[in-house]
Amino acid sequence: MITQHIYFAVLFPLIGFLINGLIGYKIKNEKVIGWIGSGFVGLSFLVSLLSFFEVTGLNVAERKIIVPIFQWISIESFNVSFAYLVDPLSLVLALVVTGVGFLIHVYSIGYMQGDKGFWRFFAYLNLFIFMMMNLVLADNFVLMFLGWEGVGLCSYLLIGFWYDRKFNGSTTADAAKKAFIVNRIGDFGFLLGMFLIYKTFGSLNFNEVFTIAEKVPLPEATATLITLLLFLGATGKSAQIPLYVWLPDAMAGPTPVSALIHAATMVTAGVYMVSRASVLFVQSEITMMVIAAIGAATAIFAASMGLVQNDIKKILAYSTISQLGYMFLAAGVGAFTASIFHLMTHAFFKALLFLGAGSVIHALHEEQNIKNMGGLKNHLPVTYKTFLIASLAIAGIPPLSGFFSKDEILWETFAHGHSFLFVIGLITAFMTAFYVFRLFNLTFENKSRYPSHIHPHESPKIMTIPLIILAILSIIGGFVGMPKVFVGESGNFFYNWLKPVYEPSETYLFNVPLYTHSTEIVLMIISVIVALSGIFLARYVYLENIKPIDWLVTKFGKLYNLLFNKYYVDKVYDLLFVEPIVKGSERILWKFSDVKLVDGFINSVGEFFIEIGGLIRKIQTGVTQFYALIMIFGIILIIFMLLI
Amino acid sequence: MDKLGNILHSLNFFYPEIALTLTFFILLLVDLFFRKSKHLLPVLSLIGYVITGYFSFTTPNASGFLFSTGMANVGLYITDSFAFYFKLIILLSLIYTVLFSILSKEINESTENRGEYYALLASFGLGMFLLTSSTDLITIYLAFEMVSLSSYILAGFTRKVPRSAEASLKYIIFGAVASGVMIYGISILYGLTGTTNIYLINFYLANQNYNTLTLVIAGLMIIGGFGFKISMAPFHFWTPDVYEGAPITITAVLSVASKAAGFAILIRFLKVAFVDYAATNLQASLWAILPGFQWNDILAVLSVLTMTLGNLAALWQNNLKRMLAYSSIAHAGYMLSGFVILDNQGILAILIYFAIYLFMNLGAFFIVMLISDKLGSEDIDDYTGLGYKAPFLTVSLTIFLVSLTGIPPTAGFIAKLYLFAALVNTGWLWLALVGVVNSVISLYYYMRVVKNMFLRESISTYEQKIELGHVLISFSLLIPTLVFGVYFKPLIELAEKSIRIFGF
Repeated sequence: MITQHIYFAVLFPLIGFLINGLIGYKIKNEKVIGWIGSGFVGLSFLVSLLSFFEVTGLNVAERKIIVPIFQWISIESFNVSFAYLVDPLSLVLALVVTGVGFLIHVYSIGYMQGDKGFWRFFAYLNLFIFMMMNLVLADNFVLMFLGWEGVGLCSYLLIGFWYDRKFNGSTTADAAKKAFIVNRIGDFGFLLGMFLIYKTFGSLNFNEVFTIAEKVPLPEATATLITLLLFLGATGKSAQIPLYVWLPDAMAGPTPVSALIHAATMVTAGVYMVSRASVLFVQSEITMMVIAAIGAATAIFAASMGLVQNDIKKILAYSTISQLGYMFLAAGVGAFTASIFHLMTHAFFKALLFLGAGSVIHALHEEQNIKNMGGLKNHLPVTYKTFLIASLAIAGIPPLSGFFSKDEILWETFAHGHSFLFVIGLITAFMTAFYVFRLFNLTFENKSRYPSHIHPHESPKIMTIPLIILAILSIIGGFVGMPKVFVGESGNFFYNWLKPVYEPSETYLFNVPLYTHSTEIVLMIISVIVALSGIFLARYVYLENIKPIDWLVTKFGKLYNLLFNKYYVDKVYDLLFVEPIVKGSERILWKFSDVKLVDGFINSVGEFFIEIGGLIRKIQTGVTQFYALIMIFGIILIIFMLLI
Repeated sequence: MDKLGNILHSLNFFYPEIALTLTFFILLLVDLFFRKSKHLLPVLSLIGYVITGYFSFTTPNASGFLFSTGMANVGLYITDSFAFYFKLIILLSLIYTVLFSILSKEINESTENRGEYYALLASFGLGMFLLTSSTDLITIYLAFEMVSLSSYILAGFTRKVPRSAEASLKYIIFGAVASGVMIYGISILYGLTGTTNIYLINFYLANQNYNTLTLVIAGLMIIGGFGFKISMAPFHFWTPDVYEGAPITITAVLSVASKAAGFAILIRFLKVAFVDYAATNLQASLWAILPGFQWNDILAVLSVLTMTLGNLAALWQNNLKRMLAYSSIAHAGYMLSGFVILDNQGILAILIYFAIYLFMNLGAFFIVMLISDKLGSEDIDDYTGLGYKAPFLTVSLTIFLVSLTGIPPTAGFIAKLYLFAALVNTGWLWLALVGVVNSVISLYYYMRVVKNMFLRESISTYEQKIELGHVLISFSLLIPTLVFGVYFKPLIELAEKSIRIFGF
């Protein structure tokens, strides 16, 4: 049974990392490095896929396989094993991570061509997949945390990959640091949550914790505290309010990294974690409300900032934050299936959008400002077509994948009685359609606005083939989760597949108010109309008549500036947290307590010991007779001490 | 069973020692006839040790005493899991020493005596094997002397180097005093109890009245002898001089194997002879000691003294070998603290510590040997900037030094963790604190080397070509040092099986 050997899926990327990391700098041929990196991820995908087929063949009750590797920590009653949990949920994630990961690896062979850190790039990327697989396959919180921190490390390394380049007036290293530090705040919450879980349940093993949680309801306060702390971790990793600020800066990394880590996989870790621990989350109504509210707020807030940005990758970054908000909104209203469904389809079309953006950036020699693009339609036909598909998918046009997943979220939100959040979701959908087609039109349509000496041409096959595959996935990816109103309860494969995972939490969820099928269909039509109007508005403003936008900008200058400056959140954070901490740490912590108190103390302690050492050294005279004498005296002295 | 039958029966459990004896003889003979061959001797040594290892694994633990004298069914020798564990450590360090010797310039350049070198290494090993398993003060003393005599000569092996000859002579003089003190203690103990068997000594002490002062004097003198072997303060003075003067391969084996044998016999002697078994609850791991002789308090003080003296003196050393000598004194101090808590947890911690110490300490010595062979110096100042010229060696050395300091994720951390945890669990908080403070002090001199290697501009004209052998041996030491830092369960399990000393 291959599922029993799922660890191969984790191990392969590690092997790739070791090969490229240790001897990659000696391999002169880039193709070899690239295919070692991609190949091992491909193998990992294969193992995941075979396991998936195997698990599909099992009875529903048996679809939960624990693969122990070894006992990791065993100190009295504290036991942590290195073990993997294969169940429908972890398999979905594993497939997305390795599948999309593989495509992005292949794409990178073309994209990173000629980069001096080529081997380093693939080594990091493989390490990332290894860590991510540990995160999604872990069967306990500790191992999950290992992966959680590991992907954070890789993210840090890859954001700062071009450490010698400038970014946004500072350096990519600063962007990497920002990501790392902001994530620390979230990780702190995750850790505290873990401690509290251990204190409450006496275990950190998923199976043990969740089984207890299913049978014995937690006290409301404990459940709220645990889940809020865990959710704080999720807001860090998945870039939600208030910790989303790192993601736009993370675009300093190479574009494939943005596609893989900061769109398709790592940032969804928070969504996955909430889903994994759903039985804990559903026990606190407060937390669920907080998650739904934060998710909806992040969705609309980030989308509004995406409306006016000019950097092609930044727009996509805000879009990612906004889409992640949708996923949390779904989780918050108890529709975990919908949140994971959107996670999957989003991985397809957002990876495609980023890779397409990479193709554009590549063709225009590192140009990222969409104001300096335009007219690329004819020069980059494959990129153009695939980008259009991805844009339609994210805008939510049926029957593309994004439509099904987004609509599921909106419907579930409405059906659970959160009509206000539903409206926010709808407005966000409109904004999404608008900003993505603004981006699309400014990039591909109209006349070219880039310098005339640049002659853009289509990327090589190694880059376009992943685009085409992702485009196909973006089109058909949604069919696994067709709305029940069309295909009936049994026809929604995705829902039935994940059902056993969420069964324990369903007992805690308040009853779903019943709406008729016709309501669902009406809402569906509304959301399509909203998406279409967003597209047509963007078309009108940016394609047929570019003028109104200038008028709008002057008319609503203040609003525009507010959006353009991202609500000044970065500035406010700087003023509220960064500045006081930097100043305070410089004046109080560094110059006073570190230099004067700590260093002074440490130095004098050090000098004290060194002085004593100097005295002791003098006993070692080199005269053997003297040594013997001390030995005898030592014995006599001890005898005397004992007698007294 | 008649005496001859007893001896023949005992021989069934004596295969490892017999194998070592044969290795010793074969090496002597081969050296007579095949002087020319360069690799024959080390290869034969390795074969001998591997065979010894095989027998060590396959020979079952004897259910009773070996070489019984017929009286009260007590004997001279015992094979228990405790001895087995230390024999493994001794054997591993012997194998590494032979491997080091093959690559060592120092040893290869003095070709004329290489036969004696390898033969004496085998007899050194035999002595240590005997020492770990002896249960009679006479055999203990004989084994002790066998170890000492072999190591005196080995320390002075490169006798044409003045500092080596000096080291050997100092070692002999100091060793003679220690040995004299010890045999004196033994004779007093014999006078007090009328027996040399440590089990019978315990029996008499538990059931008869005795003069406390006499017992204290005798016990201390014997502890002094063992203390000499493990370089416990104030019996440690020979260590820096000898470690610095001896060939580095011998320094390495002295710092690990000979110390292991010393620890084994110290623990066995004190735990068998001076523990009050009537008052000890065998189910609980805690033991009670015989009234009148608070040897664990003495050892607590001496362990603090040992680690502090070792660390403080190491701060001043500029010669890496000498610094490692002081550091090995400090490590003996840490390990000793595990013994004073009178609890099997402590023994467990010592066993774990030793296995890890084996890899990290031998590793450090190996790298220092490779560098000084090329550099011609062990002076820390000459290591300046080496990090850029010999990245593999210096990074390896850094890992070993980090592990010696006891910083995660290296094995050295696990060693210290178990040790200090045992101290804290049994209420010896102050001793644990002293240990932690000492570890912090040690950070300074270990990291000084690292700082010199990486953070300063290079001045030397060092050039280095790494050979495959260097890499393989380094990795065989690096991997345990790193892996045991993360995945230490098998080691713990092995040590847990080995904490029981025969009969108790």
